[in-house]
Amino acid sequence: MSDYKHIGKDFTPPDVVGKVTGKARYAEDFRADGMVYARVYTSPMAHGRVVNIDTSALDDMPGIIGIITADDVPAVEAPGAAMLTNLPVYIGDPILAVAAEDETTAENALAAIRVDIEPLPFAVDPLDSLVEGGPDAREEGNVYVRSREGSGFRRIKWTPEQIDEFRAGREPTGEHAAEWEYGDVEQGFAAAEVIYEEPFVTVGYAHMSMEPRTAMAYWENGKCHLYASSQSQSFWMPGLARLLEIDMADIVLISENTGGGFGSKIGAYPMAALPAWFSKKIGRPVQLRITREQEYYVGSARVGFQGWMKIGFAANGRVTASDVFIVEDIGPNATGGDGSSAAGAVSLVYDPEAMRFRGLPVLTNTTPRGAQRGPGQNQIAAVMAPIMDRAARDLGIDRVEIRRINAANNATTVYEDQEPVTSAYMKEALDMGAEMFDWERRKQKPAKNGSKVRGIGIGQGYHSAGANGYDGLVRITPDGKIHLHSGVGNLGTYSYASTVRSAAEVLKCDWEDCVIHHGTTEAHLPWSSYQAGSNTSFTHQRANYVAALDAVDKLKQVAARMLGGSPDDFDIDGKRVFAVANPSRGMSYADAAAHAISLGGTFSGQEVPEDIHEVTRRSVENLAGSGLVGVAKDNLRKEGVVPGLAVAFAEIELDLETGKYQILDYVGIAECGTVVHPQGLAAQMKGGAVWGMGMAGLERHVYDPQNGLPAGVGYYQCRIPTYLDTPSEIRTGAVDLPDPQSPFGARGIGEPAMGCSVAAITSAIADALDGHVFNRTPVSADMIVNHVAGREQSFVALQTNNF
Amino acid sequence: MNIAEFKRDVWGREVLLGVSWDLLWVIVALSFAFIALHAIGMAVLGRRGPKPSSDGPRVARHAAVDRAFHWIMAVSVFVLLVTGVLPIIGIEFAWLTIHWIAGLVLTVVVLFHIVRSLFWLDLKSMWIAPRDLKEPFDSSVKPGKYSLAQKSMHAAVTVLSLLVIGSGLVMFAMIDTPWWNRTNALSESTLGWVFFIHGLSTLLLIATISLHVYFGLRPEKLFYLRSMIKGWVSRDELEAHHDSSRWSAGESN
Amino acid sequence: MASFDVMPHIELYKPTELADALELADRLGPRGWLLGGGQDTYGWFKDRAKNAEAMIDLNGIEALHGIRETADGIEIGAATTLREIVRDPLLNERFAVLPAAAARVASPQIRNVGTLGGNLVQDTRCWYYRRGLACYRAGGNLCYADSPQGMNREHCVFGASRCVAVSPSDTATAMVALDATMVATSVDGERLIPAGRFFALPETHITRMTTLEPGEILTAVRLPARWAGKRFYFEKVADRDVWDFALVSIAAAFDLDGGNIGDARVVCGGVAAVPWRLREVERALRGRAPGADTGEAVAALATRGARPLNYNHFKLPLMENLVRRALREPA
Ligand SMILES: Cc1cc2nc3c(=O)[nH]c(=O)nc-3n(C[C@H](O)[C@H](O)[C@H](O)COP(=O)(O)OP(=O)(O)OC[C@H]3O[C@@H](n4cnc5c(N)ncnc54)[C@H](O)[C@@H]3O)c2cc1C
Repeated sequence: MSDYKHIGKDFTPPDVVGKVTGKARYAEDFRADGMVYARVYTSPMAHGRVVNIDTSALDDMPGIIGIITADDVPAVEAPGAAMLTNLPVYIGDPILAVAAEDETTAENALAAIRVDIEPLPFAVDPLDSLVEGGPDAREEGNVYVRSREGSGFRRIKWTPEQIDEFRAGREPTGEHAAEWEYGDVEQGFAAAEVIYEEPFVTVGYAHMSMEPRTAMAYWENGKCHLYASSQSQSFWMPGLARLLEIDMADIVLISENTGGGFGSKIGAYPMAALPAWFSKKIGRPVQLRITREQEYYVGSARVGFQGWMKIGFAANGRVTASDVFIVEDIGPNATGGDGSSAAGAVSLVYDPEAMRFRGLPVLTNTTPRGAQRGPGQNQIAAVMAPIMDRAARDLGIDRVEIRRINAANNATTVYEDQEPVTSAYMKEALDMGAEMFDWERRKQKPAKNGSKVRGIGIGQGYHSAGANGYDGLVRITPDGKIHLHSGVGNLGTYSYASTVRSAAEVLKCDWEDCVIHHGTTEAHLPWSSYQAGSNTSFTHQRANYVAALDAVDKLKQVAARMLGGSPDDFDIDGKRVFAVANPSRGMSYADAAAHAISLGGTFSGQEVPEDIHEVTRRSVENLAGSGLVGVAKDNLRKEGVVPGLAVAFAEIELDLETGKYQILDYVGIAECGTVVHPQGLAAQMKGGAVWGMGMAGLERHVYDPQNGLPAGVGYYQCRIPTYLDTPSEIRTGAVDLPDPQSPFGARGIGEPAMGCSVAAITSAIADALDGHVFNRTPVSADMIVNHVAGREQSFVALQTNNF
Repeated sequence: MNIAEFKRDVWGREVLLGVSWDLLWVIVALSFAFIALHAIGMAVLGRRGPKPSSDGPRVARHAAVDRAFHWIMAVSVFVLLVTGVLPIIGIEFAWLTIHWIAGLVLTVVVLFHIVRSLFWLDLKSMWIAPRDLKEPFDSSVKPGKYSLAQKSMHAAVTVLSLLVIGSGLVMFAMIDTPWWNRTNALSESTLGWVFFIHGLSTLLLIATISLHVYFGLRPEKLFYLRSMIKGWVSRDELEAHHDSSRWSAGESN
Repeated sequence: MASFDVMPHIELYKPTELADALELADRLGPRGWLLGGGQDTYGWFKDRAKNAEAMIDLNGIEALHGIRETADGIEIGAATTLREIVRDPLLNERFAVLPAAAARVASPQIRNVGTLGGNLVQDTRCWYYRRGLACYRAGGNLCYADSPQGMNREHCVFGASRCVAVSPSDTATAMVALDATMVATSVDGERLIPAGRFFALPETHITRMTTLEPGEILTAVRLPARWAGKRFYFEKVADRDVWDFALVSIAAAFDLDGGNIGDARVVCGGVAAVPWRLREVERALRGRAPGADTGEAVAALATRGARPLNYNHFKLPLMENLVRRALREPA
């Protein structure tokens, strides 16, 4: 791959300097003339009905500008998270907002407002709602099913006996709401040498974005200008238009930098639209600041699992069948799909010959849920790893080997429909990891030293990592600059910059001559995918590739028109388009751009391809006449699932007396096709590793079931791993084999980078404890201490709120 | 001044927290004012007739077990008041265990007294009958075993101690004890009412007991105190203050 | 209920003389609030869960800073930062258990500004109480943590009385282990309080963590020479290795007398509203040589009389293990 000019090379994304110097501006840093400060009043009750709002105390409070309530904003259809509501469904659900000349006054107002709320029954643990007579998190029901056939509320209850048998680890017999299956599961189990049945819990927890979802909005000449914290850029536009009930053309969205989203800011969310509505109401720019505490309310969280898994292995280690039942804690807003995604991941990573999934998404009165890095895949990765280890041990197979035996490869078919994959090299990743980690040697190391025991673990992560059908937009101006327009959000992964480099690669230009345009509608951006689902690398390499090809094509056409001959006679390099036969016959990109402007039509964006998205079309219209415009929709071939894969090896030293463990070493291997940005990839692998370590041992939601109160509403309470909780060095590597359906061979990696980590740690903990499996994340020190001391755990089986 | 204090419950709603302890000073002040006025009034206006003699034949007034009851009750109430009130006025010490033990003692003796008075004592002798109401106005009307003042005092103490005991038992159920772990079974507003009742009845008991002690120590009534210690009054004292036709001292001990 | 995070309007006094601070403290009484590094304070105020009319910033008072040798040991000014304590050579040489404990407080950033006084006097971290709920500790009439469904993994196993909160201070355990004397100063003069009586249990002081009275300032802490250079042990187990409060911690001091333990102080943090002295363990240690066997022999005494709540019985084996370790690890 070394003959690429940009692909596979490190570079400095333009926003890096601002980020390390503090100059980068985030949504909260923007001001507008006459701006007022708004703050939301949130529900103190987990479920209730607002019966009265008394704001009379504000009547003669100086500095109050206005109040906005649910009656002033469009209602979001249940179960969607509301902008403002009179029917709060979780503690922290926004009820109203107050705007004032300054923040202190706004807070004084919040303190003075009286809101009467009539309490309604609530549930913070899905099983409490599922049991007969249990509370429903919403008046419409306690289950919300999303499916291709249609979505809707249901009311599903299990008998206490059914709940008990589920807790006891037996196959659930209660009703479920979603199901799929492939192969003959019965036969698979019949063919198995060993079969395991395990109940499991993965507790939900916050996304913990460093930047809370503060937003600022004002209206000017009929357009809404919105400074928001978004994970995606162009992808936000349709959703925002819906929330604001205006045309996309009337929105200017500015989101240059985002302090993390991790799945919680994928699409336009209600809190971003609220200041715009407020601004419309009071006629002044409004900054709506979300506090850290409120970010824990409205900032969304990972779906929790309470499940049961049955899995059979043949004597040779092959997975013959698997049966997965998952009760999902989908919060009050019923974000969907973690359960099925988890099962999908099982179908790919362990490739059972037959498989069944049953799911039951249960509503709770907890923080709204959203996709969080590897939603479903990473929870199940944590559960699966120790089970694979147990099978390996029982069958006398090496733990790496049993994973190799079941490893996804180019022939693997996945999911319910048993689709093909574009390519997959899990075996290669395992081999590379085992080698870097020195698996064979470490396996032999003595396990015990005083109160300390060593454990080594292997984890595998997966997420589908690529989409298609989005647009690319590049532009060459008469000054010779190459303008790379990126509709990709700047969520911190630098993919907004790394993906446009495929256009630079195609245009064979120097990076210094490239200008990236991103982060605001006014930069005229193409339609893009969301920056989620690990798809951006794959998806936008393609989109930029096709746009650049279009530019190259136009360069050749311009040259042919100006210099005679057919476009096919020409080639490009060194910022010139020239005749292949006689390289001196040609012109610079700058000149070609000037000619393109005079030629007009498709050359300079006066005409656009039929199939591009409205967002791209508008951008091109705005750019028309400013240079040579390359614009195209990605219509390249895409068949099958694009897998992003990762494996991790970890060594821990666990102290049996304190329940604490140190992660001594960690190796993460990415299997994401060609490496396009080594530093970016390493950062993803390390960030994912740290996050996985947090999920494995530290991070979790805790709610007080009696009152519905959340315990984690601050950083320190939520226990993100710190520098001292992670190994001082996290080693990473990459398989670096190209994917055939990506022009430069790249697939995405963001989510699996974490899944492999949490799995490696749960695997290592089980190894350290002689194979004891907690079947739960996080595994906290108290659980280990209790286990070692032979004491019962404090929580009942499958309970979610246990600290 | 507030009678009650309020707080926000776990969901931010305003609920009763309990009695306002500012009232304590009001109660104390009022009780003392009354006592002072009464003492002065008695000193100035009091008819000083001949003091009945304590010599001569004796009449049994309080059986030993009833005296024991009274004094156990007195001690436990005193302990309860001290342990309950001092921390509130800023004298902090480990009061809670002593308080609930004293509370249990009080509960037991009160139960005992109730049972005993229902079955063994002459309940009617404590009953306030319409004719008793003439007592203060007509010096010819003399009480039976208990004067109207005594009956009123008893009635007040009965009601207040039942309230304070009842609410106290509920509160007792809300703390950890050697026998059970606390629950948060009561809603916070109910709990507020319980605290309010406990506090208010405590305050009123302080007033009632102040008066009781005061009257118990008044010179012309000292013989009652003696009867509560030794059990008897002299025939003379009985004749002077009671209508023996309405109190057959011989029968009811 | 709203969530707040802006510092409300509060008066700020910045005295430079102790006398002025004492005078202010006296005048303001409970309406005033002493300010060290603010790492506990600002959270309360910004959340509007507690308030005060005025803050008296103690940091500008020279006399409250510094670590001094005295005739009978070492005196540490209350406004000395935790970072200074962690790095002080004298303390590390003679009373190593204190810098060891201070080094595990919170995070480097917090230790840079957090003061010893603030760390010792800081309020509990019971999450219900910190939420601003009107529980016993906040003058209310119930405890949310100690209820059948209360989430009380981090609460106490000893010394509960209605309130089940624990002392969050890491340096407090060391102070008790060192028999430190707390110097409480008010306009009326100095009051010397032994560390063991400085921290208060809810049975006596349900709304306060210490026996300091309004108007009093903790001006200094005195470490007696009696314990200088003895064998010490400190360990803190928290979910995270930094920026986290103790689940259980232990501070121990052993006075070795010809290889055997003479006097000992064994104190656990995170198990009661005060640093909890394991007196039975201390007694049992007399005359025994430190080591694994001794640890094994006395460990079970650590948890005699403990009353775990629904989610924290793990603190019992953890305490016992920490006692084992304190005796096993070489000094
Ligand atoms: C995220 C986080 C994690 C933490 N982790 C830990 C931990 O692991 N271990 C630990 O021990 N602490 C921990 N803390 C607490 C923190 O260390 C203490 O809050 C800090 O040390 C207190 O010092 P300060 O000077 O900043 O206190 P301040 O906030 O200034 O004061 C705290 C209290 O002490 C009073 N006070 C201050 N000085 C005096 C004085 N001289 N006399 C009388 N009263 C005084 C104040 O009035 C106030 O009530 C943590 C805090 C945070 C925010």
